[in-house]
Amino acid sequence: MSHQAMQHAEDFRAGHALGLDHRKLGMWLFIASEVMFFGGLISAYLHYKYTLGFPETTDLNVVLVGINTMVLLTSSYTVVSALTAIRQGRQGRFAALLLLTILLGVAFLTGQLYEFADLYRQGVTLTSGVFGSSFFTLTGFHGLHVAVGVLWAIVTLFRGLRGTLNAEHNMAVEIFGLYWHFVDIVWIVLFTQIYLIV
Amino acid sequence: MQGSATRPEKGRPSYGVIFLGLVILTAIELGISVLRVLPPLSTALYLLFSGLKVALVAAFYMHLRQDSRFYTAAFVLPALLLLVFALLTIAI
Repeated sequence: MSHQAMQHAEDFRAGHALGLDHRKLGMWLFIASEVMFFGGLISAYLHYKYTLGFPETTDLNVVLVGINTMVLLTSSYTVVSALTAIRQGRQGRFAALLLLTILLGVAFLTGQLYEFADLYRQGVTLTSGVFGSSFFTLTGFHGLHVAVGVLWAIVTLFRGLRGTLNAEHNMAVEIFGLYWHFVDIVWIVLFTQIYLIV
Repeated sequence: MQGSATRPEKGRPSYGVIFLGLVILTAIELGISVLRVLPPLSTALYLLFSGLKVALVAAFYMHLRQDSRFYTAAFVLPALLLLVFALLTIAI
């Protein structure tokens, strides 16, 4: 085998063949599939919203959800700061920021559950009509993604505490961050389409 | 960065500045909602601000601004496809 071919094989094994890290590329392709997944749900919601009209949207608590949005935006900041910290080898700061991310994720989910319970008390349920079905499906799936993100953050935190993540090996943190920021982006879109544009 | 095609970072605002921008944009959106600004002005502003927020998170927090354009394509192309689908669904 020529030296060039051997070098290419070596680059491929190292994940550099395309100039791209395979794990990161995989995460981006997963995100692409998630764009289509949420795209289908958002399209369905918008279709019903503009054909049937959703008077129930006036019952939504925009201020509460706005605060929840701030919570999620803050968690994105803590995740990207945690990545910076681990790249600088500051393990303690990394752990503290990831712990804060977990708490913010749990706070977001608590706010969402409170909102769901409030809507149920007002008679808006999963089976009460088209609005309830599409609203709870869309926001519920987003909440599920946040819950998965919280579990992922816990696993990443433990890996950091065990020392398997450090200044040299931190791609796992970056990949987790990509997922978390994507979930944040989905929420930015949902907040606008469901709560703000009525 | 491990094995990623990263272009040099030039004139990049700090993550804190981006966060502040996101908070300010969200606060303005809430203000528009509380003040009950009427459509179509409110709708145009909401779409503009949410688009800005998505762009800020993707470009800076997800590092698309300095990473390979391949990642940008993997994110933007399905999003554009989704936009077409969403507009078609509304139009039908």
